Amino acid sequence: MSTGGHKGATAAGRLSVLVGALSVPAFVGLWELIARSRIVNAVLFPPPSTVAVAVLDWIQSGQFFGDLSASLFRVTVGFLIGTAGGIMLGVLTGRFRLVSSLLSPLFHILRPIPPIAFVPIVILWFGLSETGKLFLVVWGVFFTVWLATHIGVQKVDRGLVRAALMLGTPRRQMLSEIILLGALPYIVVGLRTAVSISFYTLVAAELAGAFAGIVYRIEIAQQNMQTGQVMGGLAALGLLSFVADRSFAAIAERAVWWR
Amino acid sequence: MVAMMHNPLRPTPPLRLVDAPPEPSSTAPEAIIRVENLSIVFDVPRGEVIAVDRVSLAVMPGEFVSLVGPSGCGKSTLLNAMAGLERPFEGEVIVAGKPMLAPRPDIGMVFQQPHLFPWKSVRRNIAHGPRALGKSKTEALRIADDLIEMIGLTKFASAYPHTLSGGMQQRVAIARALANQPRELLMDEPFGALDAQTRAVMQDNLLELRDRINATIVFVTHDIDEAILLSDRVLIMSAGPGRILRDLSVGLPRPRSSAILTDPAYLALKRDCLDLIRTEGRKAFEQMEAVT
Repeated sequence: MSTGGHKGATAAGRLSVLVGALSVPAFVGLWELIARSRIVNAVLFPPPSTVAVAVLDWIQSGQFFGDLSASLFRVTVGFLIGTAGGIMLGVLTGRFRLVSSLLSPLFHILRPIPPIAFVPIVILWFGLSETGKLFLVVWGVFFTVWLATHIGVQKVDRGLVRAALMLGTPRRQMLSEIILLGALPYIVVGLRTAVSISFYTLVAAELAGAFAGIVYRIEIAQQNMQTGQVMGGLAALGLLSFVADRSFAAIAERAVWWR
Repeated sequence: MVAMMHNPLRPTPPLRLVDAPPEPSSTAPEAIIRVENLSIVFDVPRGEVIAVDRVSLAVMPGEFVSLVGPSGCGKSTLLNAMAGLERPFEGEVIVAGKPMLAPRPDIGMVFQQPHLFPWKSVRRNIAHGPRALGKSKTEALRIADDLIEMIGLTKFASAYPHTLSGGMQQRVAIARALANQPRELLMDEPFGALDAQTRAVMQDNLLELRDRINATIVFVTHDIDEAILLSDRVLIMSAGPGRILRDLSVGLPRPRSSAILTDPAYLALKRDCLDLIRTEGRKAFEQMEAVT
């Protein structure tokens, strides 16, 4: 909405800010009311107050930070490895036809398989080790980043490449500067998608069996019928991926610094 | 691809007793750019297209030569071959005694679009060439600063390209090409995308610049006025496949300015050019109609 000097517009703007600020509290309040009114089963649908107590216990027991760091480690390291591999191979397949002929058909077959489908074979390969979990996250991130980079490299303005050639740009600088930065706007979009994919695959990886982690905690709580803890876990996961997405958006805005 | 074949019609050079600097060509002894019997063929979905058809020409050191012709006549392709961006199908291009097989930093190029690196400031765009050739950062930036002063953009040294107007961007592109101190400067319709007023200013700037940089310039345009105003020689090309139709010397005195546009000698020259181009344009049009 416009924030011009028009009086009505300003009033409408203020109202929408107010409604926006009340959205989450209103939802939580409604939930509390419904859960306490016994319209629904309070064991299956615990009120927010119960969830809050469960989260507090979780934090006080010291398990929360263990779970948080285990999950963060998997997501971060998996994202970094998958991104590095995706960008590297994307530059190669996007730039060199022979490399593309060799790898692109294979990647295009593997890419559409949901990473979750690999959980059974990953357990056979790696057991319940950290390697298996990292593998799943890396797998999910890699193909997204690879495809974005591959397309970005192919869309690099040919004129820029010719101009760089005429100026005597060495081969290595051509790849590491002209091609990579030329493709950066596309790569950044791929990376943002990869952030949410890394969380999807994290869920699959931890559900498959782990010894710590936010999703692992959710599963344990479910087995013990601790629904408050389950919802607390879900809220923590939602908050975590929200923060990750927002911080990535802020970084992405600065990554393409010349705009 | 195809090496230059020996031409039986060319007289063999006389025997010498003393070593003399080898003559680049018997027809044009001191030419710095020689195009010999050059053909360039493109593969297209329906076969092949001859873009340049057995063109020969020579450019003397320090000369300003324009290539003029209807669009699609292969003048840009010819220029690209001089830049090493296009491989000959037949014949060859020799610049400063060496055949052109790939781009060389002693040959500068300015394209129709500025093609500045969007992630680099004006200063760093201009410093790119010297850096790529291994000059130190300080040295490269010093070269850049001198050129920025020459093109009058000192205030915009740290600006990014997208914040500049089209004319300013093209000035930066010219400065960037000059930063490697090329002996030959190739310009492919560099002012073609600019509005008429900016173009006139840029032409005057180029005339001034030319006296300072001491480079041979080959300039592609479809604008006759521009060609005559700037050049020592105007080569008129035929409609595709490109061949050189006429080689006109522009005998107008230098320094020139846009004031010559009303000079009778200029007008006579322009009439010659226009007649030729009109005939060629009509031919091209008829060719196109015959095809469709």
